Parts: sequence; C-alpha cells; structure tokens
Amino acid sequence: MAIRNSGNMSITEEFAAKIKRDNQKERIMKLAPVIVLFALILIFSIVCGKDFASLKNLVAVLNQLAIPLLVAIGLTFVIMIGGIDLSINGTVGMAASLVGIFVMNNRFTQFNLGIGGILIGILSSVLVGFLAGLIHVYLRIPSFMVTFAFMYVCKGIGLLSYSGEPPTILDPVLAELPKKSFIGIPFITWMALIVLGICILIQEYTAFGRYIYAVGTDESILSAVGVSVKKVKVKVFTLAGLCFGIAGALAAIRLGQGQVNVGEGLMFPAQAAVVVGGTSLAGGKGGVINTIVGVLVMRVLSNGLVLMGVNPYIRTGIEGIIILVAVALTVARGAKVISK
Amino acid sequence: MANTIDNKLLFSAKNIDKHYAATHALKGVELDVHEGEIVGLVGENGAGKSTLLKIIIGAESPTSGEMTMHGEPYDPKNPLDANANGIGMVFQEQSLIVSLTVGQNLFFGHEREFSKFGIINWPKVYKEAQQVLEEVDISNINPRKRVNELNFATRQMIEIAKVMNVTRQAGDQKCLILLDEPTSVLSETETKNLFVQMRKIAAKGHAVIFVSHRLDEVLEISDRIYVYKDGASVGMLDTKDASEIKLYEMMVGRTTSSEYYQIDKQSKPQEEVILEASDLGLAGIFKHINLKLHKGEILGVCGVVGSGKEEICEVLCGDEKPTSGELIIKGKKVNFSSPSKGLREGILMIPKERLFEGIVRTLSVQNNIALSNLKKLSKFSFVSAAKVKKQALHWIDQMRIKTNSPKELMIQLSGGNQQKVVFSRALASECDILILNHPTRGVDVGAKEEIYTLVREIAALGKAIILLGDTLDECIGMSNRVIVMKDGLITGEFDSGIYNKPSQVDVVSLMM
Repeated sequence: MAIRNSGNMSITEEFAAKIKRDNQKERIMKLAPVIVLFALILIFSIVCGKDFASLKNLVAVLNQLAIPLLVAIGLTFVIMIGGIDLSINGTVGMAASLVGIFVMNNRFTQFNLGIGGILIGILSSVLVGFLAGLIHVYLRIPSFMVTFAFMYVCKGIGLLSYSGEPPTILDPVLAELPKKSFIGIPFITWMALIVLGICILIQEYTAFGRYIYAVGTDESILSAVGVSVKKVKVKVFTLAGLCFGIAGALAAIRLGQGQVNVGEGLMFPAQAAVVVGGTSLAGGKGGVINTIVGVLVMRVLSNGLVLMGVNPYIRTGIEGIIILVAVALTVARGAKVISK
Repeated sequence: MANTIDNKLLFSAKNIDKHYAATHALKGVELDVHEGEIVGLVGENGAGKSTLLKIIIGAESPTSGEMTMHGEPYDPKNPLDANANGIGMVFQEQSLIVSLTVGQNLFFGHEREFSKFGIINWPKVYKEAQQVLEEVDISNINPRKRVNELNFATRQMIEIAKVMNVTRQAGDQKCLILLDEPTSVLSETETKNLFVQMRKIAAKGHAVIFVSHRLDEVLEISDRIYVYKDGASVGMLDTKDASEIKLYEMMVGRTTSSEYYQIDKQSKPQEEVILEASDLGLAGIFKHINLKLHKGEILGVCGVVGSGKEEICEVLCGDEKPTSGELIIKGKKVNFSSPSKGLREGILMIPKERLFEGIVRTLSVQNNIALSNLKKLSKFSFVSAAKVKKQALHWIDQMRIKTNSPKELMIQLSGGNQQKVVFSRALASECDILILNHPTRGVDVGAKEEIYTLVREIAALGKAIILLGDTLDECIGMSNRVIVMKDGLITGEFDSGIYNKPSQVDVVSLMM
C-alpha cells in the first residue's frame, strides 16, 4: 500500500507535468499565426516602406480580401470535420458563370432574373456541396475524391452554360456595385464580412457549430448522444457550398463578367490560409476566427511580395512551402502517450 | 444480508451471454442492483466486467439473456436509449470533446433545451453547468474553460458530473450510474471526493456500479461485490463478509493442470544475460524498472491494464523512447529510435493485435514470412521468388502450419495458424529476444497448446522470451520467472521453476 502510493504519486505527477507542457506548447502554437501576421506587416513596412504601409494599399488589400476570405471560411468548416474540399475552383467558377447568365447581360437577354439570377448562381453551388456531402457520407468515398470530381463537373457546367464566350454583366445596379464603398471599405468586402459574421454565429452559437467540433474530435461521442454524424457532415459540405457560391457571385459582380476562370487559383491559397490560421487538418481544432488571421497572412504576404516585385511563379512556390511548414508544425505527434 | 438488498430491485440482468467471433466473453452472467446500493464488480482483465457494462449501457447488445430496469424489460439500442431509462456511464476512455468548454460538454446533445431560434443562450448553459458542477462539489472550475486546459482528474470529475446530469433529467425516477475504473487517474484525495459523491448519489436512492482493479477501494465503497472470472459470475459477497484475500481466491479460482502449459518441457535458462534494463523509465507511465533476461529464459510480466507492462515492451523493442535509465543488450548499451533498429540488435515484438499489426492479410503465407528478412533473400535488390518459397516451406514444416500452399493468402488461415506464420517470420528474422504480447489471444484451445509447445521449443533454442500472457495462469505456467507490475512499478518478482510455480493469489495480490 505504502509502496503504491509513493510510487504512484510521482508517476501521476510526471504525467500531469507532461500534459501541462503539451498545453503550454499548444498555447504558444495558438498565438503563432498572429505573431506571424505582425511580423510580416513589420517586415514589409520596412522593406517596401510607403508602398506597403499606406491607406491606399490597405484598401487594396481589403479589396482583394473578400473572395479568398469567403472561400477559406467555407473550407474551414470542412477541414474542422476532418475532411477536405477540392471543388472550390469549379464551384466558384460555376456560380459566377450562372450569375452572369441569369442577370441582364450582353448575350442571354431572355434569362434576366435580376436578383433571382444571383440566387440561382449561389444555389447551384449549394446544391453541389449538398450532393458532394451525400456522396461522401453515404457511398463512403473520401471527401477529397468526391469534391475533386465535382470540381471538373462544375467547370464543365460553367463553360457549357455560356458556350465558350462569357457574358458581360449589363445590369446597371450590379455594374455599379464594385465601385461602391462604405467607410472606405468596398461593398464586396462588406458582403464577405457579413457572411463571416453569420458563420461565426453558426460556429459559436448553434448546436450545429458544437457538433462540427465534435465530429472532428471523435465521431463516436456524437452517436452516443444520438446526434447523426452523417447529417452534420452533409450540412457542413452544404454550408461550404453556400460560401463558395457567394464567393462566385461576388467575383462575377466584381469582374463585370460571369466566367469560369474566376475560380482559378483560389483553392490552394485557401487551404494554406485555413492551415496557417491554426485549424488542424485532423479536424476538431481551430475555426473561422483562426481563418481570418490565416487569410490576412496569405493576403499580406502576397501583397508584399508583389510590391517587392517577386516573380509570380516564385510567389506560388512560397505558398506551397508555407502550407507544408504550417502542416508540419501543427500535425499531432506523440499522440500515443496522450491517448493513454 | 446488508440492508440495501431489502430495498426495491432497480436493475437486474439474467443469463447474459455474449459471443464475439472466436471468444465467449460472457457466460450466463447474473447481476442484481437495488435502489440506494453501490455494487462492486471485480475480476481479472478479460473476466468480462467491461463487456457487461457495455451491454448495460447499450453500447453492445447481448447474444442472449434478459435485463430489467424499474421492473420493466430493458433492451437498450444505444447509450442514448440507456440514458432515457436512467442509466448513465463514465467510460474508461474519456468521452469529453477536448476542444469544447466544460459547459458545452456537460450539455452536449441537449443544446436545443437552451436555444431560441437555433441560437444557444450560452449564459443560461453556463449557469446550469455551474449548478451541475456544484452538485458534485466541484465549484472551483469555470464551466467556460476548455477541457484541454484541465488535468485528467478534473476531466474525470466532469465526466461524472455529465453522467449525474442524467439523474437530474430523470426527475423522480431512480437511476443507475456505471463507473468503469474511475479512480485509475485520480489521486487519493480525489478518490475520496469521488466516494463522497457516490455515497451522496446512493443516499438519494440511485444506485452505482463500481468497477476497479483496486480491491481496497471496492471493499471501502461498495455494499455488495460480484466476482467474475472468465466471463462468468463466480460469486456474490456482502462487503462485510469479504476481504482482499477472499476476493483474490475467488478471482483466481482453480488452477489448470500443468500438462496444459507443457511444464515438463520447461527448459532451464542459460547463465548468460542477454538483456538488462537498469532504472528504465517512461515519464508518466513507469519508472525504476530493473530487470535481467537470460538466454533461453521465458520471463512473464504480469499486471493489470494500465500497469505499464505494455509500454515497457514498447520501449524494449524500440517503438517508444525511454525518458530515463538505460538498456543493455548483449553487453552493449543501446538506444533505439525505431523497432527496425531494435530488430538489428536482435529484439522483436510480436504485437497483440495480430490482424492489424502483425500480418499483411492480403499477402500470401510465404510473403508474410519473408517480410522482415527480404534483404537476405534478394540479390541486387531483386527478391528471389525461389528463396522466398524455400524459406516458407521450411517454416511451414517446422511450425506445422496448416496451409494448402505457401502461396495461400493469410486471410484463409485460422487464427492459430496465422499466429504461427507471425512466429515463423520472427524466427526467420533471426532475432535473439522475442517479446510475445498476448500470443494466444483469439486462438482456439487446440491451437493454444501448439503455441505453448512452440514457445517452449523457441526457448530451448536459447532465445530469450518476454511474455505478456493472456491470463495470469498462462503467464505463470509458461514462464521461468515472473515479474509483477502495478501502477508503473515492479512490485514483485517470483521464480517460476517446474516445481516451484508461484501461486496466483500471491501474484494477484501484488497486481491490485
């Protein structure tokens, strides 16, 4: 009895100390994205001087922020449940194309549905997200495969819809929107911020938001309290589809043209932003707020490198290296002991 | 009879049987629980306690048998169903979502009760969470804290609070709380607090089933004790009539005959020490491990789950790095960074989960045997099919593996023969130290005897073996020497020669 107690205490203490160390490390890791963001701002302010640290450039960054932010938010939910969505380039492009067709434009005058046209574009992407979720969950196909396939399907639909020549948006209200701003922030960025607010609300204040974390942590806990894991997953992919759809609609409005190409090159920076922000690829950790920081890091980096005159191909390479480093830093190691 | 048994019957299980593929986990188990009672369940690992609890909570369904709750037939489809009937359980593996807060965990799945138009009223959640926590006397924790910031003991108390919430929801209905090894991560003070809570629960007329490896705790807190062995109830005692010795004897039961373990074939180990561990430790798991292993020796390691015996094997074979002490193999100090480095020094573990860790199911018998010595069978990196086949035929003959051809796939072999293939591969890799982690798990009786013979033959060849037995009986019966572990420390060591086998009661009393 005496032996056990004295020995047990010290082993228990050792174990507690280990947990404490892990927690401390995690707290530092949590702050890392913010530190990186400020470090980047500092570095570019020094290197680029007035070009970077100016109100004009700030507005430019904010202007560029909207679509990457929307896409990354949608992706965040998917990654939080341990999945991945590679359909982005396609769904955004498809939504943009359909918006172009179903509002007043130079090619398809018979389809002018005004605001309804915008809704059709967004709904197409929601539908794709819903289908991808269903197929992933019920046919048990890995999400990367399903969504990758949908990327091509959506690109096809987009291209076919305007049969090669993208329609230019002629609707007077929509054509004016990109130039509108409120307290210095462009209208399109405002739209993204509103979606962001709604997503934070969903994440923090709804049962669904809690279930997203739970699915990413341990699916069996949900079944134990009678929550359907499948439903949660399908909803997450649908929500992601909604975000991509809105991104597509805004992209079409900003460009003044509905074309598939607006989706190009969105996916990889979005993945990078989510991971850099601290959302774990294994799921269960992170969230939309982390992603804001991640997107800012990616935008500031991209903006700074452009101002420095770095070759765009090198910029893409840097993004690739960043995602690798971020994943290497955040991936769970030594899980063996933790799950004792 | 204790006064609690005069109370109204709350829960009863009759004739519960549970078959898994090859094993008969529960054999006609009986259990009665009355209102206001704390019932202890004791038994060795694999005696069936955890399986029984899983059946009661609805996580598993019995193969046959009947249960009643509140006098009505009770057949839960899932844990949620069990909760609705007033039965809640604290699982051995914790079931909290660590990235959520305490309050969010407490009411996980019940968010609707706090929502308006789908938006959760968090202040209300946290206010109620505070009340739930206060009911189990942990008011010093902010329910807004995330679980991953809390230590394990606190998490355990929160699990208990979460289950207690079931009793709150049940209203006037009496509840049954299942606690599976709740004290394994608690300190003495925390354990005392838990016992106070258990008494409080019982005083309200609810009942508690308490499972623990620590017999002193079971004796301290329970009113009655059920003893299980090999999936069957071997007796029920009033705690006032029970003692640790009495319980040990009931848990151990009769001993199996010596022929079963081929004890007459037990060979004497050689003088030469092949492996020596001094003051070996793995932070938070085990420490102060000193042991010597001789050539030709079978060293049995006994201990309950969580005693650190599995982790010692992981350290010895190089799967995990020790945090203190040193390991000497064949007179040379070693520091493995991976199991393959361990194999290079001649140490190999045959893992417990044979099907997942030990074999490649979709490969043939010959390819499985050749897996760990492919280099020797190759020329210029090209594997020689003829040599692979020749080696396989050698071992099929040597090990008496029943297979139609060396090209047969592993999935087509029986469990015992699969295990023999795993043994063959280990021997083909020419290791000198073999760690056998539950080598007879999931094989039938006949195959078991053959495996025992094989182990004896391997030892007679001069190879050293560290054995984690599937049962205590097996571990003692097979070994030349037995070390006993408890809570990460070695608590005893016994010689286990042909004629001086230690008694199981002696060994068990050091394990628990």
